[in-house]
Order: sequence, then C-alpha cells, then structure tokens
Amino acid sequence: MFKRDDSNHQETVTVTLDGKTQNLQSGVSVAAALLGDGHLISRISPSSHKPCAPHCLMGVCFECLMEINGVQQQACAVEIAEGMNIKRRLSGSNGDE
Amino acid sequence: MSEMYDVVVIGAGPAGISAGACLAEMGMQVCLLDEQQHPGGQIYRNIKKASPKTLREMGEDYERGAHLVRRFEDSKAAYHQGATVWHLVPDGSVYVSVKNSSRQIRAHYIVVATGAMERPVPFPGWSLPGCMGAGAANNLAKEAGLTPDCNVVLAGSGPLLLLEASLLVGKGVPVQAILETTSKTPSLGALLKMFPALKRYDFLMKGLKMVRDIKKSGVPHYKGISELQALGNDRLETVKACHGPNKLKFSADLLLTHFGVIPNTHIYRLLKCHLEWNREQRYWQPITDNWGRTNYENIFAAGDGAGVHGARAAEYKGELAALEIAHCLGIIPAYERDNLARPLRLKLQDDHYPRPFIDAVFAPHFSKESFADETVLCRCENIKVKDVRKAVGEGVRDVNELKIVTRCGMGPCQGRMCGPALAEIMGAELSLSPDKVGMMTIRPPLKPIPLEEVAEMELEGAAVGPADLFKNQSKKY
Repeated sequence: MFKRDDSNHQETVTVTLDGKTQNLQSGVSVAAALLGDGHLISRISPSSHKPCAPHCLMGVCFECLMEINGVQQQACAVEIAEGMNIKRRLSGSNGDE
Repeated sequence: MSEMYDVVVIGAGPAGISAGACLAEMGMQVCLLDEQQHPGGQIYRNIKKASPKTLREMGEDYERGAHLVRRFEDSKAAYHQGATVWHLVPDGSVYVSVKNSSRQIRAHYIVVATGAMERPVPFPGWSLPGCMGAGAANNLAKEAGLTPDCNVVLAGSGPLLLLEASLLVGKGVPVQAILETTSKTPSLGALLKMFPALKRYDFLMKGLKMVRDIKKSGVPHYKGISELQALGNDRLETVKACHGPNKLKFSADLLLTHFGVIPNTHIYRLLKCHLEWNREQRYWQPITDNWGRTNYENIFAAGDGAGVHGARAAEYKGELAALEIAHCLGIIPAYERDNLARPLRLKLQDDHYPRPFIDAVFAPHFSKESFADETVLCRCENIKVKDVRKAVGEGVRDVNELKIVTRCGMGPCQGRMCGPALAEIMGAELSLSPDKVGMMTIRPPLKPIPLEEVAEMELEGAAVGPADLFKNQSKKY
C-alpha cells in the first residue's frame, strides 16, 4: 500500500505484533511503522465488528487504538520502540494480510 | 509539590514553538507540552529529522519550520514530548500524562496552541480501511517517508487537497482521479475578494503552479462532484461519485479525502472558554482579544486552534500572545510590547490578504442532501445518520440530548469525528444554523488514560483527591 521512499530510514526495531516477532521501521509512530510494513488494519471496531484502519494519523480519530505494552493507546501518537508488545486483537476477522 | 512555571504552552506547532521561544528568550520559566515525539505540529511534522529528499519534496514552506524549531531549542524553554494533556482547569492547573505517568503542572499563564484538524465529513464507506485523510498521507510522508504505491483517488475540497494531489502526482503515484466537491466557478462574492489577494501575487502563483502541475499530469480532475461513495468488502475497492448527469467509478486502494481544516476546540470546551460560530467556515472558534486572550485573563489561544489562518499566521499569533504575557508578568512595559507587536501585526496582515478569497472559494456548504441516511456518522459507536434523524423526529433538539439518546459521540474520540457533521445534520433537519443545536460538553479526561495513573498522582490546589478532577467544576469559574 505504501512504499518507503527514503534510504535514510533503514534502521529497524524488533517488536512483538499479535504474538509474532516482527522487524519494523524505527524512529516513527507505531501506526506509521505498521502501515509502512503493509499492516493496514489497526483493530476490529467493538461496535460494528468490522476492521478499522488509521484515518487521521494526527491523534483525532482513535481508529488506530491498539494495546501497546498493556495499555490501549493511539498508535499514531506513540513512538515505536525495541521490544514493544503490540496487540491488535484481529482474531475472528480476515481483515489483514 | 507540583511543578510551577510562569507559562505552560500546549502544542508544539508553529504557534506553540514561537510562543514558547519568545517567552523563554525574555527570561520566563516556560514549559511546552506536546503530544508528538518531535516539535513541529502537523505542518512541520518531523522537520528536525527530515531527509534532504523530503525537504525538497515538501518545499520551502516546510523548511521554514526548521528555523522555528532551532529558535525554540536555542531558547531555555522546558519541553516534554509525548505529553498528553488530559485535563486543565482555569486556575492554571494542567494534568498531563508522559511516559505512562501523570502529573500536575501549574502555571500563571497557559497558551493553548493545539491547532486544527481536518474537517470530518461522513460519506458512505468513509470508515472502510483504505479511506484516509489527505493530511494523514501527508503526515506519513513527512514522518516515515511513506508514499502510496497503489491506485489513489483524492476527493473533497480545499487548497490542501490540491497540494496533496500535486505532491503525489509529482512523485509519480498512480492517481486515478481528483474529485473536487467545490463548484467549477467561484461565486461573485468570492471573486470580489480576489482584489486584496492580488497583493500577495507570490501566494497566488504558488496555487496556480500547483493546479498547472496537476493539469500537466493528465490525471482526470472533476469539479463539482456529489454523492461520493467508498465501496468494498473489508477494504476499499471502488470509489463512486456523480459529476452532473455522469456517474463516475474508479478502482482504488486508497481514497484520500480532505474537506478543509477546522479548529480543534475540545480543550477550549473543557475549559468552558467562550466560543463563537464562524458562519462562513462553519466552525467554532474561541473568542479572543487581539493578543489571543480568551475570556480567562490567564488563558490564551494561539494558532489555528483559535481560527484557521495557516502556519505563518500561527507563528505570529503565538508571538503576540507571548508579548502580552510578558507584559502582564512585568517583564516588558506596554510601549515595548506594542513596539515589538507592530511588525508582527504587519506581517499578519500581509499574510492574511489572500485568505478571504481562498476561504470564500472553498467555503463549505451542507444541506440535508449532503448526508445519506445509511452513512455511518459516529465511527466509534457505529451510529448512522438515520439514527440521528429519527431522534430529531422524536423531539431531540440539542446535541448533548442526542448523545444520551443515541450514543453518538460517546466513544473514545469523544465526538471529534462526528460532532461537526452531527450539528450540520441536526441543523438541517430543524432548519436551524448548526450553532443553534449546541456543542457537545467535554469533560476530563480529554484523552483516555489508565485510572491507575490518576490514582498515583500527587495533587495540589483546587483538587484535593483524584476523584475531584472529574467533578463538575463549572460553577467555580
């Protein structure tokens, strides 16, 4: 969906995404790192039960809410860090990948 | 003991960093709190770390932010990144969460520079994955160097839509179409406002170049479209719209929408600042004097959050607020404040010349027909337009009443995404201006935070225990 058009952003961090180890771009928000790696779906809406994706990427829409290190947080407002545990709880959907 | 400052500035966009720098340079104890990880706000997002390529693509207007950030960093202002302000009280108490820990900060003066947001306009399918704000795509480019490598459609209205279109076209992104809701010919009223805009020939030329670049690319560009729709199963597949009698259809993986920019007023509403309705731009803005002072002597509104005038104006407004605060704190006499303010006001005026014309050309228009019954209005709670209409039919007349009846606006975004359109829909149903159906009441916390953070805080002043923070304190002020 997105390609990284910058050779300066090669460094990565290792995180756990939905229980699996994953290398993602460092120095950016969790939301941007996931989008850059092709993960469009951020969560399953608790009201419509449909997959959601980040919409505003500036802290307004709350569509990128996900559990980061045990706390529900806006993925666009949290910088990704080594060893982070990110849970989107997508099980039961066929929304991603 | 909680931390005490002369001034707390909230938001590190152009208004916040210029206010913070100016205050600190004059020797005041300043603390700037910003939700993002790097100073710059949305417009100068990630400017410090931007690669030469990003700088080149985003142009000189973006690069200006680098000078601003450098000035701020050279000043002695304290700065907390990743700081979420979740409550503030007019007595000067600010409650902020940094790195999963909350604390109270107190200040004699507060500058609220929390900026603007893209106007959320619901249309069928807008919550499908693959539909994003044009500003979101712009932020991804600045922050992470990400460019769409799929079929893109851009839709909506306003100069920023065209700016994003020209950027994407310039990068060779396969843009399928640009669908503008703005009508083909500007109104006579708008055209009359062009004369003052001519004083800023440079600005108009920039706009013309943007439009020319889009035209040269050969991307289909429709004006005056209606009935925008996003379709797809679990993600976007097709974008549809009407153009006069013609039905348009495009396959797309990404639909970037933009419908103008509105002040983000949640923080002002929490403070119970007096707001006024901007009739032309159809948004609420705090009432301020010409220094940015709100109805509270110690609280200032600066930047686009106080009325959308762009990055340059935000910078000057931030500095004007700083000068008045410096005067009130006894740092500079009135004549010096006024001397320093004079060139800023001239720059502000110069920057403003094209604004009435641009604003009039892209002024938003809504009617009953703008919103389809089946469209999801409140994304958090999955409330549809028809649910609102039904409640209004049953006698609901105020947005807060409607919130209680339908749950519209009760989710984690607290009405940020549905509030503006909700007022338009209710207003249209009742043949009233949207400002006559009220504003959603905003209570702490401004953003969701874990309760244990609140429980662990040490408090001073008006609040004696953590639970007091959430009591209705409106009678006190």
